[in-house]
Amino acid sequence: MNKKVKTVLGPFILVVLLSISRYLFSSKMTFITEIAIYSLFVMGNNILYGYLGMVSFGQPFYLSIGAWTSAIFLAYIGHNPILAMLLGIAGGVITGFVLGPFFIRLRGDYFALINAALCAIGVFVFQKLLIGITRGEDGLWFRTQMSRVRLLDIRLPNNFFFFVMIIFFIVLVLYSHMNNSVLGSSFKALKVNERKMRFLGFDTFRIRWIGFILASALSSLSGSLYALNLGFVNPSLGETHRAAEVLVATLLGGSGTVYGPFFGALGFLGIKDLVSRWVTRWELVVGVITLIVMFRFSKGIWGGIRKVSLKIYDRDERSAGRCGRQRS
Amino acid sequence: MNADRTNTLLNVSDLEVSYQKLKVLFGVSVYVKKGENVVLVGRNGAGKTTLFRTIAGFIKKGKGNIVYKGKEIDRLEAYEVAQRGLKYIPQDKQVFSDLTVRENLELGSYATKDHEWDTVLVHFPKLKTLLDRKAGNLSGGERQMLLITMALLGRPELVLMDEPTEGLAPQLVKELKDAFKEINRHTTLFIIEQNLPLTAEVADRVYSMKEGKIVAETTARDDIKEMVFEKYL
Repeated sequence: MNKKVKTVLGPFILVVLLSISRYLFSSKMTFITEIAIYSLFVMGNNILYGYLGMVSFGQPFYLSIGAWTSAIFLAYIGHNPILAMLLGIAGGVITGFVLGPFFIRLRGDYFALINAALCAIGVFVFQKLLIGITRGEDGLWFRTQMSRVRLLDIRLPNNFFFFVMIIFFIVLVLYSHMNNSVLGSSFKALKVNERKMRFLGFDTFRIRWIGFILASALSSLSGSLYALNLGFVNPSLGETHRAAEVLVATLLGGSGTVYGPFFGALGFLGIKDLVSRWVTRWELVVGVITLIVMFRFSKGIWGGIRKVSLKIYDRDERSAGRCGRQRS
Repeated sequence: MNADRTNTLLNVSDLEVSYQKLKVLFGVSVYVKKGENVVLVGRNGAGKTTLFRTIAGFIKKGKGNIVYKGKEIDRLEAYEVAQRGLKYIPQDKQVFSDLTVRENLELGSYATKDHEWDTVLVHFPKLKTLLDRKAGNLSGGERQMLLITMALLGRPELVLMDEPTEGLAPQLVKELKDAFKEINRHTTLFIIEQNLPLTAEVADRVYSMKEGKIVAETTARDDIKEMVFEKYL
């Protein structure tokens, strides 16, 4: 299949399936919206961890940058939610651009921990230092400030669902394109052998910086949509424990793949939703399931789906070959 | 070691390199003229790889100069050295194993903005049949071919190869030897090699290195054999 068609077809099928699910399970519309939003967050982390091999415990900070930028804009400055979302993305890009050169010099546990520290600082800043603007632990409410946007009133849950699906589709196409492009290959190559990349003439610092900015922008986009969805943001959004959650979701779905983040978000939020009805400590179940998936399918849920489908395809090919030989 | 230095592409003079307090290169001076095929021989631990890695910009020198095409390159980053047309193929034969041969070549061509693979694939036509195979599934010889092809993208003027035939079957060594001769028609080669018959056959000039110093240099073919086989190894 043509690469360009493949880049669009996969995301299209996924978004259509989600849209159908919205009608089949109408009570789960908000849940499906949350999965798509959380997928964007996991996609950001996947660039860092799955593609570049950098573990970050600070992704909730970038998530909260997007959420707070949109929330503060809507609460104090303007009323247009789409503009608020664009500002949220811009906030993420600027944060990644400014912090990137300092952070990406660090490797391994240092990179992970400096991001964790940033997360803690972020919570403190939004909770205590900017209490006059963010209203501290009470959080900032702005749902009533959002105005109707021409063509699509995203204040209505149904419209917001389709708005998120459109955003999700666009991001997924771009993500898939990145995966197939030289940029995606250089991310993966950098993870395997940075020295070799430099021998080839690549400025590996710049590539890592681009990855960092993309990860930050995706996290902020997710944060922004999260804020628009709830009409409310509070400092707990940026707490460090969310960093572990997004890492688990990345591993669960399949790191370094295009569709892994979606399945990671689906698996993680699905298990959380299902298990928390009966068991208070749902984290235990998520942990056990993650371990099983990791041992059984090292490439996560998406890797497992691909493995099984390739087996079926191979079996069909072989049986078709046998039939052909018998006929001849 | 005084020789005609006209048309010199690479000139390393009085190079000293240390790993923290441990000095490993002691005033090394070598030069490579355009179109030459120079081989560096020496026992393990003599400092050959350190010399190549320093020239390629991966290790910072202590003292001395590295001049390539008339300009000092010793303060440049490794990727900047590569962008100036001096490529280094390390010993480890590591390719990007998760990527296909095609993606490996795409990466190489993107870095150097040379998208005409055919001109370099001509040296190793076998790679044309392996374009969609994961590089991690290639044999040692095929990996070496891929590495050389990737290094040749962008038409570098000088390629440093660190033991390219190490661990390869005799038939593959013969193939590589023929390829070196062909590549050397338009690219200058500076090779570290332990395969002495091959060295005697392909080298225009040989440097011998021992304990971080250049201990001999020879050009005449008979001298090469004598020096390489008897005197220093």
